[in-house]
Amino acid sequence: MSDALKGISVGCTDAEVYVRVAGRGTFQNSQPLRRFALDMVERGYKVFVVDLGHCLGMDSTFLGVLAGIGLRLRQGTNGGRVHVTNVSPRNLELLQTLGLDRLFSVDEHAGASANAASPADQDFQQLPESDVVDLKAPLNKNETTDLMLEAHDNLTEADERNIPKFKDLTKFLRENIARRRGGPPPQDATS
Amino acid sequence: MKDFRIEREGRGPVQLVRLSGSLDMYSFPRLETQLNTLFQQGHYCVVLDCRDLDYIGSAGLGALIGFAKQAREHSGDVKLLNVPERIYKIIELLGFTKVLQVHNAEDAALGAFARA
Repeated sequence: MSDALKGISVGCTDAEVYVRVAGRGTFQNSQPLRRFALDMVERGYKVFVVDLGHCLGMDSTFLGVLAGIGLRLRQGTNGGRVHVTNVSPRNLELLQTLGLDRLFSVDEHAGASANAASPADQDFQQLPESDVVDLKAPLNKNETTDLMLEAHDNLTEADERNIPKFKDLTKFLRENIARRRGGPPPQDATS
Repeated sequence: MKDFRIEREGRGPVQLVRLSGSLDMYSFPRLETQLNTLFQQGHYCVVLDCRDLDYIGSAGLGALIGFAKQAREHSGDVKLLNVPERIYKIIELLGFTKVLQVHNAEDAALGAFARA
């Protein structure tokens, strides 16, 4: 895999944000994507095109971060949306399993990412610390725990059928966070 | 990416389940089915040998907590064995080692059931 096809690369046009995922999307490289996406939403971008053409797989945290972008855009009044393109059958199954095919518009082919408005290859920039096989800095425990909980809460908000799938994980993460903050154990309506 | 494989063998009262490849959201349902089948058969003492596992996703780890809890309710457990260092670092960082027992030797993992 060439350097241009490692980790998460991003590019923008006047109206759209383009995200290319190469290799795995996991909780280890979800934070840079989350930060970038929040910044872009703050700047007023309403359309995200996520190209999974070189994505070997995604874990639930990464998908939860994508769901968070979709949920945030859906809250807006101007029809913001995440378009996911170049989706392999395996990744499509993941999206369908979590009900995200109803939150995103999904194109199994190149679709919107191949249109003329897409930035040129050289205008994409790799997000720092987004190549999971070459992470330089150790993960921050508290930040990762918070991120994982937020991501899985996003997945359950996107589709309530995800609640039983992630109840053990979210309960564990909530308890960890409560312990860290010195508060009482959280009430868990799902257990 | 290696295909995910599961092999099971009985070791007295303990079921040793060897995992290889990537345990991700795509492959986890197969392990889920295997563990549910074992539990239905009354096998609540399970060791997951992770020596040849090259990846485990966050949802898989979370679900293992649920299986361990379920097994403990029947005087059993789900323990991890031979967790590769790069995976161990992550599960330790996130605190999963506080709720999932991890062993480096098969004898120790099997013996932990006898001592329980």
